Amino acid sequence: MSRKRYSKEKKHRTGEIPTGSFSDIAFLLIIYFLVATTLVKVKTIAADLPSGEKASQTQSDKTPIVNLRGTEIFFNDKKVSVELLNERLAELELGEKEPEKRVIMLESTKGTPYENYFQVLAGISANQGVVAIVEEDK
Amino acid sequence: MKKRLQSKKRRAVPVPIASMGDIAFLLIIFFMVCSEAAKDKNIDVDLPISEYVKKIKVTVVARVAVDENGEIYFDGTRVDNAKDVEWGVRALLTNTISDDQRHVQFKCDSTLPKETFEPVIKAIASAGGIIEAVGEKLQ
Repeated sequence: MSRKRYSKEKKHRTGEIPTGSFSDIAFLLIIYFLVATTLVKVKTIAADLPSGEKASQTQSDKTPIVNLRGTEIFFNDKKVSVELLNERLAELELGEKEPEKRVIMLESTKGTPYENYFQVLAGISANQGVVAIVEEDK
Repeated sequence: MKKRLQSKKRRAVPVPIASMGDIAFLLIIFFMVCSEAAKDKNIDVDLPISEYVKKIKVTVVARVAVDENGEIYFDGTRVDNAKDVEWGVRALLTNTISDDQRHVQFKCDSTLPKETFEPVIKAIASAGGIIEAVGEKLQ
């Protein structure tokens, strides 16, 4: 008799999932994501290097050339500092020229550190120049 | 009249909280979709300094990094050489329409010599990417 009653009661029982704390869980997750996320906006310089086919001696003699020899910088074969190079590039007013006349050749010797290379790239792109990397003959 | 006013004061206004869970989960989904995972967080790089660096405003299609040992990483995964970078960038840029979709972040250690970083720069350029070289602002 008691067994019968017990089995009947069990059949009628309905289970409910407690959803009351769902919003709390969700908000805790949001807080976790907000705290754990590191929002870093990196600072960059944009350098658009022409991706065309390799050309040899296509530029005229008038094309400005920057040479990086180790830690030294030369602009049209004259030794310059980074500041002076930026002044020289600003004098060229590349932004007002046609795209094909904005080209600045960049040549570097072996061992040139990226620090110098980056500063020259930054200077050229800030003055709206287009960098053309000069390759050594093999 | 007084009695009626008293009864008005006692009336409890229920705040609808049934949809709070849904709102919160929608906010989570929004944050997860909008956030960009930093894939090259654990790469040791001593960044170069320049006065011309600006906060990046474009969305980059790929992240290329060269660490202090000269090891190359493409979207956080180590690759063997610059050629792998070129193929990777080229594959990503196959369906690009505008210049805004060609930006590739390039992070390189400032002490590395030309022989190490220049092939990577050339690889990005020849694949059609616009290099976004990461640096620190000169104080």
